[in-house]
Amino acid sequence: MEDKNQENIENKDINQENKDNNQDTTSPEYDPNVNQDELIMAQEKQIAEEIKAKTAMVGTLESLSSLEKEYSHDPVYSSKVVTLMPKFSNVRRTRPDGNCFLRGFIFAYLEYCIHHREELSRFKKYLEGSKEELFEMGFPKFTTEDFHDMFMEVVSDLEGSGSVERVEAVCNDAGTSDYLVVYLRLLISAHLQKNAEFFSCFIEGGRTVEEFCKQEVEPMYRECDHLHIVALTSALGVGVRVMYLDRGEGATVLSHDFPEDKDPIIHLLYRPGHYDILYKA
Amino acid sequence: MSTPARRRLMRDFKRLQQDPPAGVSAAPTENNIMIWNAVIFGPHDTPFEDGTFKLTLEFTEEYPNKPPTVKFVSKMFHPNVYADGGICLDILQNRWSPTYDVAAILTSIQSLLDEPNPNSPANSLAAQLYQENRREYEKRVAAIVEQSWLNFQDEDDGEEMKKDT
Repeated sequence: MEDKNQENIENKDINQENKDNNQDTTSPEYDPNVNQDELIMAQEKQIAEEIKAKTAMVGTLESLSSLEKEYSHDPVYSSKVVTLMPKFSNVRRTRPDGNCFLRGFIFAYLEYCIHHREELSRFKKYLEGSKEELFEMGFPKFTTEDFHDMFMEVVSDLEGSGSVERVEAVCNDAGTSDYLVVYLRLLISAHLQKNAEFFSCFIEGGRTVEEFCKQEVEPMYRECDHLHIVALTSALGVGVRVMYLDRGEGATVLSHDFPEDKDPIIHLLYRPGHYDILYKA
Repeated sequence: MSTPARRRLMRDFKRLQQDPPAGVSAAPTENNIMIWNAVIFGPHDTPFEDGTFKLTLEFTEEYPNKPPTVKFVSKMFHPNVYADGGICLDILQNRWSPTYDVAAILTSIQSLLDEPNPNSPANSLAAQLYQENRREYEKRVAAIVEQSWLNFQDEDDGEEMKKDT
């Protein structure tokens, strides 16, 4: 809200200038009768709709060479893709809507689980216990339960008839997929708040851990940062390796394991601002 | 057709009926579950006491990922309410969480009435009077409280008339 407020104030300043300049009609004018928040939200909505129309929430399995083609005119990126090629064979793209890390994570994890039933049972047990913990921490019971129950339904269903096709369907069904993402966000928020003393030193802008969770973790479409990833992987005890494709010098691709002491079972590809799923060769 | 948003709105409605929160009420409109009418009663021991303020909530298929658009229909005089009834409240914008339901939204707005945030004014006169001339502010609020009863009166009359014809 403060950002929006800031924009309102800025607009007011422009309006003031207009008056000073004897009505310069080319500058945007601030109309106090227009609800600025709604204008901003309408624009954000339009951008989101365009992304939605273009990409599936979780795409189909593609060969890594599709990345090579994508960067054929970009020497920095293409040399790094070449570095990745012997280690990884495939990529699955996720929708860049701010939920990409979580969507990529849960897809890759559920896919791992259908091939590793003991992990699926472990995860189910964890999920069962997580509900009470969230209630104890003060998350609203009525709605939290709804998200939790949907997650349990998905996991139970996979126990019975787990297949990659089923995971694909679940993660691309708007209602179900978003509910999974919401619940993961609640788990992250809970883990950060439970360990607030530790995490507080990593939070920028003088915010408390609780404020950070309310602004950056619980709302949908808010991008996941290192902190979110550390919290989620530690809370679930699931190892994730992120491969970083960026403008850094040379052909080396840096990687990082979350949490540091866990063997990774999920591999994600990071490009500035976005995560996709990688498959080992 | 049942969509995730509609399913959740039915759930919200059931909860409002089974476990109604104090001082607020809401229901979907007859023909469209995506548009709700609500009433917030002005909290006790505040200048808004005894007010019966009508609002509309407009949901999209993205609920609960995204908040509804909430507007006062009754005339409001408050630092964080725009002239068109739109509300400047963080949980309806950048602090929205899918864990808020209709009851939570309305009780948050009810609390906002007596705890305005003068740093993000939507009505600069109300914000200024709230900070600099509380007496005048309360006078203006008292006026819209009275007006809120008239609105209800009109509606009752309207219904009476319908019955007569």
